[in-house]
Amino acid sequence: MNELMAARSLTTRPVVTLGGDAVAQVKDTVFDAEAGRITGFTLSGRGLLSGPLRQSLPWSAVHALGHDAVVIRDRRELADTAAVVARREAAQGRVLGARVLTDAGADVGTVLDVVVEGGDSGRVVGFRVAASKDLAPGSRRRRRQVYVPRGETLAVSGRALVMPADAVRHVVGGLAELAALTGGGPGRRSGPESGEGPLS
Amino acid sequence: MTFFSELRGLPVLTVTDAAELGEVRSLTVDAASGTVTHLRVRGRRPRRETVLPWAAVHAVGPDAVLVRSADPADPAPPPHDPVDRRVLTDAGDERGTVRDLAFDPGTGRMRSVVTTLGEIPADRLLGLGDHALMIRAG
Repeated sequence: MNELMAARSLTTRPVVTLGGDAVAQVKDTVFDAEAGRITGFTLSGRGLLSGPLRQSLPWSAVHALGHDAVVIRDRRELADTAAVVARREAAQGRVLGARVLTDAGADVGTVLDVVVEGGDSGRVVGFRVAASKDLAPGSRRRRRQVYVPRGETLAVSGRALVMPADAVRHVVGGLAELAALTGGGPGRRSGPESGEGPLS
Repeated sequence: MTFFSELRGLPVLTVTDAAELGEVRSLTVDAASGTVTHLRVRGRRPRRETVLPWAAVHAVGPDAVLVRSADPADPAPPPHDPVDRRVLTDAGDERGTVRDLAFDPGTGRMRSVVTTLGEIPADRLLGLGDHALMIRAG
């Protein structure tokens, strides 16, 4: 039912009230320090000439994160950017570009994007990773991109994520496979919208 | 039951003195309560738009709409035309665009919204804004 989305693809998605008014668009997605959940979004105005907004959107004000819009209950629930962004330097800046290592010390690759679940959970389900040579051997000139499920045990520190070595067995090639893997049970995420391929 | 598409372009006259105000341009709806609230009339000369409360409508016939009074609604409602507006569920997923509205001309009560992807009963409508007609996901 709930579609998986790459956090970078959320940029420019409209923020719409339940009354149908577009009040802003997403600029950046902000995660908590464990990179386990979305804590909110920074915003920019709608249209070509509008810049960043002073207000941000805390996750608590989000009704649903959808394929075509972020739906909020009320525009009065937008918060001062400082309230949402205080954690941003410590979280998102660290996740994108961070190295991914197994707890056995093997290099998995570097984080290109964060995969989140649509709906009202705000859950981070995995990462899009530029795979290291060890993980994706072969003669391809371009390094392969893989999706790594987040799992329950993940250490985020400094410039690296450390994941259990056995989680590497679950590395998959596309968002649809990641959805099947993180769905928790057959059919839970088998809606027509779960079949998105990799974004690039 | 009437479809908005049957009304569009019909002449609007006052029932008391048969003065022609113009033609039906669009409707204003209150999505949350599922009712048609206003009639937008475009004058022929001058081409000025008048917004009449739906309560002023006396009769909707096949060839004309008769109104009791030409007094404009006060305050004027927000200028969101439901037709051609995108449809968005409260889960944030688009569901086509609005093509037509079916409603009871006597009470203004809406029965359904006809979209490019099918018909949506009026009790699923949540709100109409500058971006979209919001509906309950179902």
